[in-house]
Amino acid sequence: MSKTGADLPATDAALVHKITQRDEAALAALYDRYAGMLSSVLNRILRDTQAAEEILQDIFYQLWCSGSRFDPARGSLPGWLLVIARNRAISRLRRHNPAAGEEILENTVVMPFDLESSAAQQQLLTRVKGALDSLPKEQRAAVELAYFEGMTHSEIAERTGDPLGTVKTRLRSAIETLRRNLQSTMSHNT
Amino acid sequence: MTNGHPTREEDFDLYVLGALEGDEKQAIESHLAACADCARKLAVARGRVAAISFAAPRVEPSAAVKDSLLRHVRAESQAPSAVPLKVPSDSAKVPAPGTGREFAPPDPPRGLAGRWLFGILAPACVALLIATVMLWRENDRLTKQLAGLGASVDKTQRQLADAQEMLHLYTSKDTIKVLLAPKPGMIKGDGEVMYNEKMGLLMYDGWIAPSPDDKSYQLWVVPMEGKPISAGVFNPATSDTAHWMSKVPEGIAPKMFAITLEPAGGMPQPTGPMVLVGGT
Repeated sequence: MSKTGADLPATDAALVHKITQRDEAALAALYDRYAGMLSSVLNRILRDTQAAEEILQDIFYQLWCSGSRFDPARGSLPGWLLVIARNRAISRLRRHNPAAGEEILENTVVMPFDLESSAAQQQLLTRVKGALDSLPKEQRAAVELAYFEGMTHSEIAERTGDPLGTVKTRLRSAIETLRRNLQSTMSHNT
Repeated sequence: MTNGHPTREEDFDLYVLGALEGDEKQAIESHLAACADCARKLAVARGRVAAISFAAPRVEPSAAVKDSLLRHVRAESQAPSAVPLKVPSDSAKVPAPGTGREFAPPDPPRGLAGRWLFGILAPACVALLIATVMLWRENDRLTKQLAGLGASVDKTQRQLADAQEMLHLYTSKDTIKVLLAPKPGMIKGDGEVMYNEKMGLLMYDGWIAPSPDDKSYQLWVVPMEGKPISAGVFNPATSDTAHWMSKVPEGIAPKMFAITLEPAGGMPQPTGPMVLVGGT
């Protein structure tokens, strides 16, 4: 049976527009769509379920209050939410307080993946995990230290005990490989 | 960099990742501020790097988070709209922050009487301007304070929701209590799990030695049938005690509960050694 227009799930852009009109159901729909994705990265960074849930709730409350500042034409909502989630979690992890509203301004996040359905999220998850698994162990570890712990080149070198130059080469190679793999995912999706 | 442009595409990713520092970081930042083409490339890199998030093991938030969020939003919608703090009408002469417009004092009036009048009015205008700026700052401070109070109310509501769930868990006759004991030769510790199958609610309370930097502890509900279900990841880095409540799917009959040592951040399924374990 084919779906009618009314059966189709609303797009992110339509839901964000409804949020600006104070539609609670739209906020709930976006929460259902992206809370799991954000909760996963928050828990991975913070390793603290309670802290992760606090930030998760704050992010959606911020979307409710400042949704009008997000322009769907300029970027991807899940990308924007992920950038905010990572920034906040890393700031908390490193006891750094960013200037209020700092991350909300970074609303240009181009992420040409379709993430509006859980199936699409699952597909990207498989591709990203596959891409990371294909990296040599040290490269993968460097990427994870940088992304999930917010470490710089020097900090990674200090943590792993490897020379700074080695860490730089390792991370650059890893990023190059990931970029190539994810680029092919993008072209499959677009 | 050529003409200031990063020479390699991955420079954008490394910048977004936060790995660059010192001169490398400064060079790319000063270039990005003035190059629209590179700003576009940076936006694509942000999306690409954000996709790394999907490497994190899937962790669903507890239902209490959504409930609390919607309760807060609803309460805010039903509350009478806040009256905006009024600033004196002279504030129109003060530039809005970041607009670049500046306050322009009026030209001094001509003639003796005019100069007298100017002599009195000019200091008054300056005093008014200072007062306006002070009021604007006070307004800004109060707005921030209000936002802080909102967050505090929000946190209290969340704690209340947690407390209600905890009370239900404690008082329900369907709740079981399971003691977790260390496996021989493993890290010392013990814990207690209260679990309610019908509510899909679990509470853990225990103590255990801090895990190594690159490891986390993970609590699992091992069902009678099917794969183990994660009930929380923790790392008592600063304190050796841990206490939390988490939601798991309802109707899962447990065979046992176990805490394993996993790579930092936890895993979708247990891979590491069992540290504490308790059967039902």
